[in-house]
Amino acid sequence: MLHLCIKAENAKLRHSVIWLAALLVPVIPAIMGTFNYLQNTDILTGAWYSLWSQFTLFYSLLFYAPLIGVYCSYLWRLEHMNHNWNVLMTMPVSPASIFAGKLVIILKVTLFTQLWVYVLFVIGGKLVHFPGLPPLDILLWTLRGTLAAIAIGTLQLLLSMCIRSFAIPIGIALAGGCIGLVLSNLNMGLFWPYALLMMGMNSNSYEDKMSGGLLPFLISTLFFFLLFFGISIYLLKKRDVKA
Amino acid sequence: MNTAVQQNTKKLRRPAAVEFQKGRRLHLFLIPFGFFMVILLWSVYASKDPSDYEKAQGYAYLFFEMPLLNCMTMPLMIAVLASRLCDMEIKGQTLKLLYTLQEKGSFYDWKYLHEAFYLLLFCLGEGLIFPLCGRLFGFTETLSIILVIRHVAVAFIAGTVVLTLQHILSLCSGNQILPLVAGLAGSFLGLFSMFFPHEIARLILWGYFGAFVPYSMNYDEAARLLSFSPAAFPVGEFAGFCIFGVAFYLVCRSVFLRREV
Repeated sequence: MLHLCIKAENAKLRHSVIWLAALLVPVIPAIMGTFNYLQNTDILTGAWYSLWSQFTLFYSLLFYAPLIGVYCSYLWRLEHMNHNWNVLMTMPVSPASIFAGKLVIILKVTLFTQLWVYVLFVIGGKLVHFPGLPPLDILLWTLRGTLAAIAIGTLQLLLSMCIRSFAIPIGIALAGGCIGLVLSNLNMGLFWPYALLMMGMNSNSYEDKMSGGLLPFLISTLFFFLLFFGISIYLLKKRDVKA
Repeated sequence: MNTAVQQNTKKLRRPAAVEFQKGRRLHLFLIPFGFFMVILLWSVYASKDPSDYEKAQGYAYLFFEMPLLNCMTMPLMIAVLASRLCDMEIKGQTLKLLYTLQEKGSFYDWKYLHEAFYLLLFCLGEGLIFPLCGRLFGFTETLSIILVIRHVAVAFIAGTVVLTLQHILSLCSGNQILPLVAGLAGSFLGLFSMFFPHEIARLILWGYFGAFVPYSMNYDEAARLLSFSPAAFPVGEFAGFCIFGVAFYLVCRSVFLRREV
């Protein structure tokens, strides 16, 4: 059933503008990050790591979560329009499969975005004449950021499912990112899903913030995923739809 | 004479009342309120536990920091506001019916004013953060009411110009992804424009939230201390921006009016 849901969601995304957003939005922090690095080469002496700090400085703090929010709002908007909720809920598949199908698609687009960010990072590094390829750590941080997107993606899907407006969940994601910055500075990032992105991507830092162990990060991600997934399935099963 | 005035007032009131009627139970005030709370939280966090030296320039720091926060948050907040109010017409496919009851231009203007109303609420709220933080942390610097009014006015005017863009994007896009991505990109560009050379930064619409900061920052590396000195208000640049804003609105309005439903 899940396989069918994923296929259906994939079909909905064919020729969608979502891919354009995934391609274009990361280009802006890439240009800005590289430009900012070039402006401050006297104090940024960590080569690839310094460039990474400039790339992720604002991308992961404030814009990654709203971007996931855009993807989620787009996927649910299709259901909120033209009475599609009625069709969706009468399909011979379970609510869990419907939601999981959408989540898989969100993760696919997010993984694409993250890999695109990494490619742009490598291009940026080459443009400023860094030798060789970036250290493997940075690829790991990129993928870890994608892992954190499981929790955020589930939360944003839940918000976009309940809130019929396209824009409000995206605004919530930006507000969540701002609060996440404050909480991660207070070392409470593990308790706030939006802060997990910054922690995962090791934004604005040369040293791995999770060198002490990945387990708390993984537990936190899993906890938020299960919590929001559970609430979503409960709501899909128990609440009447507003078509 | 009196009857003519009454009729005109009624005429004005009707589209305004209709707009606010449409927004009922949408809890629209929550959008500026939510963003206001984020800015408040950030400002309180950034100003907490000040030393005597910091207390003596607490307001200058806030006047410097707040436009930066506006650059980050306001473009997306405006995109959300405009999208929320315009999308109801797109989703409900109400435009054809609406134009049989209301002039196209009137609809465009009043929708815009409705959005601008919530923007004004947000900007006024921001003005309150200064005395609030001052009282909370006991700033010893004297708060300049003129600077507070100037901050509110600049944020509101820069916001209305960005709103012009978001308004037309939201009204013309069947899919709200474009205006929202524009808002997101605007937040990025606005923020980074503050690090650009002056001439380039002035070409970025979203950067104007931070273009009229009343203080410049100096950093003493040896003492590791921040200090702020008053900066002159670029009157000519501001007037030019206002004229551009009006012209931009008129161009967008005319584009919208010519567009087929």
